Amino acid sequence: MTIMICFIICTFRAGISSNQPFCTSFHVSGLLSYFSGLFGSKERRILILGLDGAGKTTILYRLQVGEVVTTIPTIGFNVETVVYKNLRFQVWDLGGQTSIRPYWRCYYSKTDAIIYVVDSMDRDRIGISKNELVSMLEEEELKKATLCVFANKQDIEGAMTVTEVANALGLSSIKNRKYQIFKTSAIKGEGLDDAMEWLANALLSNN
Amino acid sequence: MTDSKYFTTNKKGEIFELRGELNSDKKDRKREAVKKVIASMTVGKDVSALFPDVINCMQTDNLELKKLVYLYLMNYAKSQPDMAIMAVNTFVKDCEDSNPLIRALAVRTMGCIRVDKITEYLCEPLQKCLKDEDPYVRKTAAVCVAKLYDINAQLVEDRGFLDMLRDLLSDSNPMVVANAVAAISEILETSPTPLNMLEVNSQIINKLLTALNECTEWGQVFILDAISNYTPKDDREAQSITERITPRLAHANSAVVLSSIKVIMKLMEMMDPSSDYISMLVKKLSPPLITLLSAEPEIQYVALRNINLIVQKRSDILKHEMKVFFVKYNDPIYVKLEKLDIMIRLTNQANIAQVLAELKEYATEVDVDFVRKSVRAIGRCAIKVEQAAERCVSTLLDLIQTKVNYVVQEAIVVIKDIFRKYPNKYESIIATLCENLDTLDEPEARASMIWIIGEYAERIDNADELLESFLDGFQDENAQVQLQLLTAIVKLFLKRPTDTQELVQQVLSLATQDSDNPDLRDRGYIYWRLLSTDPAAAKEVVLAEKPLISEETDLIEPTLLDELICHISSLASVYHKPPNSFVEGRGGVPVRKVLPPRTGSTTPEDAVQTEAAPQLPQATVIPGADSLIGDLLDMDLGPPTQAYGQHPPPMAQSAPVDLLGEGLDSLLGGISMPTGGNDMGVAGAPSSVAGLGDIFGFNPVNSYVPAQEIWLSAAAGKGLEIHGNFARRNGSLHMDLTFHNKAMSTMTNFAIQFNKNSFGLLPSSPLQVPMPLLPNQSVNASLPLSTTGPVQRMEPLNLLQVAVKNNIDIAYFSCNIAAHVLLTEDGEMERKRFLETWKEIPSVNEKQYEITDVQHNAETVVQKLKNNNIATIAKRNVEGQDMLYQSLKFSNQVQVLAELKIQPGNSTFTLSLKSKAPDVYPMVYESYQTILHHA
Repeated sequence: MTIMICFIICTFRAGISSNQPFCTSFHVSGLLSYFSGLFGSKERRILILGLDGAGKTTILYRLQVGEVVTTIPTIGFNVETVVYKNLRFQVWDLGGQTSIRPYWRCYYSKTDAIIYVVDSMDRDRIGISKNELVSMLEEEELKKATLCVFANKQDIEGAMTVTEVANALGLSSIKNRKYQIFKTSAIKGEGLDDAMEWLANALLSNN
Repeated sequence: MTDSKYFTTNKKGEIFELRGELNSDKKDRKREAVKKVIASMTVGKDVSALFPDVINCMQTDNLELKKLVYLYLMNYAKSQPDMAIMAVNTFVKDCEDSNPLIRALAVRTMGCIRVDKITEYLCEPLQKCLKDEDPYVRKTAAVCVAKLYDINAQLVEDRGFLDMLRDLLSDSNPMVVANAVAAISEILETSPTPLNMLEVNSQIINKLLTALNECTEWGQVFILDAISNYTPKDDREAQSITERITPRLAHANSAVVLSSIKVIMKLMEMMDPSSDYISMLVKKLSPPLITLLSAEPEIQYVALRNINLIVQKRSDILKHEMKVFFVKYNDPIYVKLEKLDIMIRLTNQANIAQVLAELKEYATEVDVDFVRKSVRAIGRCAIKVEQAAERCVSTLLDLIQTKVNYVVQEAIVVIKDIFRKYPNKYESIIATLCENLDTLDEPEARASMIWIIGEYAERIDNADELLESFLDGFQDENAQVQLQLLTAIVKLFLKRPTDTQELVQQVLSLATQDSDNPDLRDRGYIYWRLLSTDPAAAKEVVLAEKPLISEETDLIEPTLLDELICHISSLASVYHKPPNSFVEGRGGVPVRKVLPPRTGSTTPEDAVQTEAAPQLPQATVIPGADSLIGDLLDMDLGPPTQAYGQHPPPMAQSAPVDLLGEGLDSLLGGISMPTGGNDMGVAGAPSSVAGLGDIFGFNPVNSYVPAQEIWLSAAAGKGLEIHGNFARRNGSLHMDLTFHNKAMSTMTNFAIQFNKNSFGLLPSSPLQVPMPLLPNQSVNASLPLSTTGPVQRMEPLNLLQVAVKNNIDIAYFSCNIAAHVLLTEDGEMERKRFLETWKEIPSVNEKQYEITDVQHNAETVVQKLKNNNIATIAKRNVEGQDMLYQSLKFSNQVQVLAELKIQPGNSTFTLSLKSKAPDVYPMVYESYQTILHHA
């Protein structure tokens, strides 16, 4: 029963928001505002993780402002609110350096989705990347989180293919989790839309 | 069920709730939560567990929330050093924020987070902020450099922050300049090595002086402090700097005023002291100082402490302003005391009357500390202004008459100083002082009074009694009183040797043997040896005239004063201590600030050198030990010869030198010492028991004690001369000895041993010589004897061979035991037994002796003999002759019967003896002779 209502509301909202700003939908009617209060204003919490230099910060700002910004290694974190297709995402971009990775776990709680970014050029460290991913997915707090892997830097010649990356990360062994891998280029902005589209739908269907 | 349930709780607790709120989606809830966290932090609850959650609130566009999170970070970053790294990226972003307030906030917080691990990441944003377009950000960044320097100096130097900081000195904004100056000063203070690149040159000084007029008051203080560290190249530059600073003297902020005064005081050092400019400056410095005294008491106090230094350095400043230092009734006590101090410093002949009147008033106030200091101040006035001394003394006397205990004590302390400044002028008041002797209970006052008594012992009739009264509680006195008492009694003895010998012995013994205090012992021994070696020299040394005390005894030592002048308007000038004595944990080299050298033509290099090498030896008030000794002895002390260094003065092994003729006798003016020898030897037995007996006269039956005779000469005894005799007291036998030390070294560790002898005499206790025997001293000892020792017949029978040992040698001598002391108390025989014994003994054993020249009648004779244990058993009158029948017994149980024939008118008595052991007859005869002739 609940699933049914959810579905209806979500499609309904998606239909409205294509024409007008999302916030106006709050005032449509008593019933609607009740439901939108339940789901609509809630920000989805997304973590962008991955080894250092994978392109996490670039992806974040690409998603947020649609531009490529100059970045420096993130010592700490960035957090931005990204609106995609009228869904509000609170996106946490955590530094990928070895010294910071231990603190990732501080951010796991209540996370809806993980964007795991892999540098497709970095064949040397793909193993490390896999290990980090595996140990992360074992975390109890992330059990229900959707996983979206970005095989980044596809613009560069000689990058690993999506399949290669997927194999290297051992994605096929993932069970009981909604996941998908995309080939992306943050610099060129390729693949990000597809990925976000999938992610948004995945999160909506979760609700 | 286990007890573990007590350690688990169902409640999630405050932290849990706060965490939930911090992670809330709603911004207001989040902000409220951070406020709650900060509130908990402020009251001391540990909310460090929320560190990650609070940090996650850091990236917000809400300035209020950001400030709160920064506050939290400053507090807890240190306790979560690893996790603090998560904040770095936010700092970096905030340092590029469009809002200058946020940029400054970020850079300021960065400086406050003292976590080594993250400092490296903060350099980049700091560099940007130092070149920020907004002066507020630049100023904050400048201060941050100093903070960073404290955490990691190397990093700051490597990243070129010092250069950037230096560039900020030329900044267009005065606030930035002031903060850059402050940061540079801070860095220079902590720097372990001198940073030449930050040295201030005249160009920078000009910029600073320009900025000075435009920046805030606290900025001015920083700039002035920096200028005070600069040494101008010549007096012209000094003068021009002074001119540009002088207007600051009129500033409303007292810190600005004092800092300006500091700079001017320092620069004045470089100028010609006789120039008009100096006198004009002196006039300009007074009014601002006086103005400071109308501020609130705390500032007054700081001002007074600084003024205290200033008037010591330049007494002409404020010399006409005595009145502003007069104490107001409602001044707090710390201000009052400080004002008093300055009053004394400013006192001179012109204003003494006024000052004295004030002080007299103060001495009647209620506050004890203040009254004490006032009384003391009167004394200091007397010492400082000779013309007023008399008036001061009479004021002090008036105060003593009040009989207020602490006033009297303070007065006596200062009067001691007055005596030392004006000897032989006011001694008439000693009598008044002595009246108050009993009321003195403070060590300083007691010591002062004792000093006065000792110093003027010859004018105080009962000085010995007064000093003796202190001696009873010697052990309980404070060390300074003990020392003073020792000195005073020695002085007294040297002035009046006749009747104070016992006193001096007593105090020397107390000081050397009954005290642990090394000063007291050493001084005691010095006096003792001085007195025993050469009393005349002792007199010259101890009673020599001493230099008068100086006018002001509490002046700060000049080098310290100069250093403190450089620290005017800081804590050092309030404490009157150099900063390194109370500031700890500064890694920097302790650079002592010194005043610039007074010269018009110093090259800058010289000046820099002086500034950089302040540890160069400087003239100090206290001359070096060498020169002092040289001065005092008025001789050229060459390098000590090796022989002197290696061999101690050959006192201990020296051959006995007879000092008898010189020694104390010369001092005593022919009055014989009790140790003098035979001439003292009357009946007075030296042991204390006998002494008491004599005094109380309760033992009239004591046997006759012959005079002591020389048993061992000094020559034979390596300087030890022994006189002795035997005595029978209360039924027991004693050997009384007097030891004279005629050697030059102290004798100790005396011991005695007897050879086997006819009567088995043996010391029944070890020889007790109570103290080390100093050269030219003598000591009495009484050795109780028993008759139970091994017996060996000696010839003559009463011969005794003795060995006396001391630290130097063993001496042997022999003496004759006085026969009569060997007679025991139980020598009286029953008449019947007497008759029987008389008959038993063959007449061959009878021997007759004649005792000539006896001036006693029969009755006296009986009494005298009885006193010496010769009992008269019967008395007959035969044909006008008195026949006395007597018996006696020696300690070895040998009995002798005697018949003593006394013819009236004939002084020759006939003694017939009968005994089974006729060997003892000579001894019996000797006994009779001794008793009848001497006893």
